[in-house]
Amino acid sequence: MSVQKQGLATAVNPYRPHPARITSIIDLTPMEKLFELRLIDDEAREAFSFESGQFVELSIFGVGEAPISISSAPSKQGFIELCVRNSGDVTGALHRKQCGDIVGLRGPFGRGFPFAEMKGHDILLVAGGLGIAPLKSLINHIHDDRHDFGKVTILYGSRTPSEILFRQQFDMWQHRDDFDLILTVDKPDETWTGETGLVTKLFDQIDVDPASTYGAICGPPVMYKYVIAEMRKKAMDVDRIYVSFERRMKCGIGKCGHCGVGHQYACIDGPVFNFWEAMNLQEAI
Amino acid sequence: MFFRVIPKREIPDLVRGLAHEFEVVGPVAKGESFVFAPLTDPSELRLDYDTTLLPAKQWFFPASETLMRFRVADNAVVDDSVDVTPRVLFGLHPCDVNSLLLMDNVFLGDDPDPYYKARRDNTLIVGLSCMPTDTCFCDAWGTDETHWGFDIFLSEIGDDYYASIRSVKGAEVVDRYVTGREVTEEDTAAFQARTASFKAAFASDIDTSQLPVLLDAKYDSGIWAELGDLCLSCGACSMVCPTCHCFDVHDELEADQTHGTRVRTWDSCMFRDFAEVAHGNFREVRAARVRYRYYHKQWGYLSRFERVLCVGCGRCTRACKAHIDPPRVVRALQTGVVDR
Amino acid sequence: MAPRVVVLSLASDFGCQVQLSNMTDEILDVLGLIDLSYWQLASSGHMPDAYDVAIVEGAVTTDEHVALLESVRATAGVVIAIGACANTGGIPGLANLLDLDERYGVVYGDGDGPRVAAGRRAPMPLDSVIAVDYHVPGCPIDPPEFLRVLSRVLLGLKNRVPDLTMCASCKINETVCFFDRGELCLGLVTRAGCGARCPSLNRPCTGCRGIAPDANLVAARAISIASGRPEGALDDALRIYNTAKEVRG
Repeated sequence: MSVQKQGLATAVNPYRPHPARITSIIDLTPMEKLFELRLIDDEAREAFSFESGQFVELSIFGVGEAPISISSAPSKQGFIELCVRNSGDVTGALHRKQCGDIVGLRGPFGRGFPFAEMKGHDILLVAGGLGIAPLKSLINHIHDDRHDFGKVTILYGSRTPSEILFRQQFDMWQHRDDFDLILTVDKPDETWTGETGLVTKLFDQIDVDPASTYGAICGPPVMYKYVIAEMRKKAMDVDRIYVSFERRMKCGIGKCGHCGVGHQYACIDGPVFNFWEAMNLQEAI
Repeated sequence: MFFRVIPKREIPDLVRGLAHEFEVVGPVAKGESFVFAPLTDPSELRLDYDTTLLPAKQWFFPASETLMRFRVADNAVVDDSVDVTPRVLFGLHPCDVNSLLLMDNVFLGDDPDPYYKARRDNTLIVGLSCMPTDTCFCDAWGTDETHWGFDIFLSEIGDDYYASIRSVKGAEVVDRYVTGREVTEEDTAAFQARTASFKAAFASDIDTSQLPVLLDAKYDSGIWAELGDLCLSCGACSMVCPTCHCFDVHDELEADQTHGTRVRTWDSCMFRDFAEVAHGNFREVRAARVRYRYYHKQWGYLSRFERVLCVGCGRCTRACKAHIDPPRVVRALQTGVVDR
Repeated sequence: MAPRVVVLSLASDFGCQVQLSNMTDEILDVLGLIDLSYWQLASSGHMPDAYDVAIVEGAVTTDEHVALLESVRATAGVVIAIGACANTGGIPGLANLLDLDERYGVVYGDGDGPRVAAGRRAPMPLDSVIAVDYHVPGCPIDPPEFLRVLSRVLLGLKNRVPDLTMCASCKINETVCFFDRGELCLGLVTRAGCGARCPSLNRPCTGCRGIAPDANLVAARAISIASGRPEGALDDALRIYNTAKEVRG
């Protein structure tokens, strides 16, 4: 009897991160940075494809892993963007990294927004705070495929003007007529000329054709109930309202148990669910 | 499947033979209790054991295992190989054999876990019949029998074992290390009688009707707060559970900080930080944690694999100082009252 | 630049510093990562004026300790409390059960006692006086755990002490439960992280790592009583290491 050592090829070890290089870091706010990452291995980079709403496990050896949703659009290949708040050990360590440094990536994981099904319809996107991160991927994807969609409305609420993410791009978009974008803040400063108050207040200003509109929501847990109520007031269908949940996805492949939401796992059944599914999930909303 | 009758006195020969090819792990005494441990001599084997402190899962999914060794400087994996010892698990009761099948659904289904798989592929399972103890309730879930998931299954008939042989490897080792004999009609009759007395010996009477419905319909029932008040949140139930598969992963640096290991350890949904995220904790209170454990086992897992994630081995019944176990929780769900 | 580290002791038996010196396999690696400016147990010089990390052992028992800690806090970016005395008040904390003025009389002589003992205080853990950034509990500390915490300090990661109790570790060790042998064991409510070492060496847990933040004391008391212990037995046993913490609330 002897101990055998079995080598595990990268392709069969779902826990082994692929090395990725940080190719750009943009400071978005004092708390959030936008990282552009490129997988170093050509084969892995070419094989990497994802849907808006999916997430990756970002790995920094010595510190650990954290699930982060992808902010760039699937239509842009060869790199991904992650909008990351400095809030824990892994995200803190990532914030201390420099351009050119190497981190690890696993994924993409989970079920994203049903982009193909959404095509041909109006889209209403509602984001609160950092919830814009996964929706940004969807917004950019729609942008790259704009003629396939009807009216596109984006409602985005932040606590203060300085916490608005992707501010530069959204400021430019305020003047576009192919996207209806309304920003609101809870606490305005002296420079703020836009809307104030909760994102739900903005529903008075928009027209929704319930027969042809898909909704997508992402934000802090407390937000969902109220935004969904507004969408339902506009008579939108329960199975056309999509929500993305933050849970503690750790393995990403339905084994470690950490992201359980009701009887499902956010990492393989979500993190994007439609409202009908979410209503049937305990602990969801 | 084919069958042999193996006299009990030949078991030491079988164990000694297996030890040429495998590490043989079986039930041995530890104080008043039993544990699965590598045997140094067949005489240590206690096939009269009732249950073990820890289940067999540790031989496939250890309480702590290194997933990979890494180098910090360039964030690179330097080794993710897995050490595999060819091994026999000797003497698993039907509940434990069934528990491995439930674990297989998680670890060998989509995105198979290479560490678990390597050990599973290199382990022979020898099952063993048993008699129910006062903490057993495998009959409630139908896990008192097993028809696959083993290489050899030994059912006690008097001075012999009625051996069901399921795999080629199982047949090989039986041929190689024991004499045994062909099965007769009388042997099969004895096997049937033995099965009947086994089934008749169960004292448990758990009403498992409609558990998924009850778990949702009674989601806000006061029983959960009551059970939460009793629970120590110690996670003993999860550790000793042959089907609890949740784990945590963390990095450990070596003293010079240049290299380290990524380590996986058993985790439990009873622990406070289990469902914690940046925005808060989805199961801060004990009641929510106790409820989730049962919700997942009797409904979450079932919704995916059409089986409950419990085999009625009774280890949690023995380990929980607060006496929270499936029979009591299921009774509380059925009646709306937590018995004292 | 390597962080400048000082190691100092308040009221304790220096056992935790001895544990540090026992890290024979790792100490050279560790010394390569830090600039050890002062180690009370091993240095003959004085505390430097400037340092980055202060590793403090012992309970706070005098006004001098308070002044020292305030200056440490003002100087060090990071304060690490090591050992039971520094983290829970430990065994010195038992003095909180006594009338201290009366004890001073017994020890130092009637009438004169309180004067001799001027500046003495009821023993307390470090965080009753200053903010503590990292905790290494236990009596004595476990060197591997100390190294894990030091590693987190060097990486700038957050303090992380397990808030669960000991029982899961015992299950993993396949230790037969002391309650099943008719003995009281404080692992039921004590902070995990030592691997349940004492129970694995056939001694019930004495609670040196402090009460786990997620412990269910009410349930544990009921279990202690149900197992045949008198009422109050669990709390009495917890006093050895947890009196100061209890007194503080």
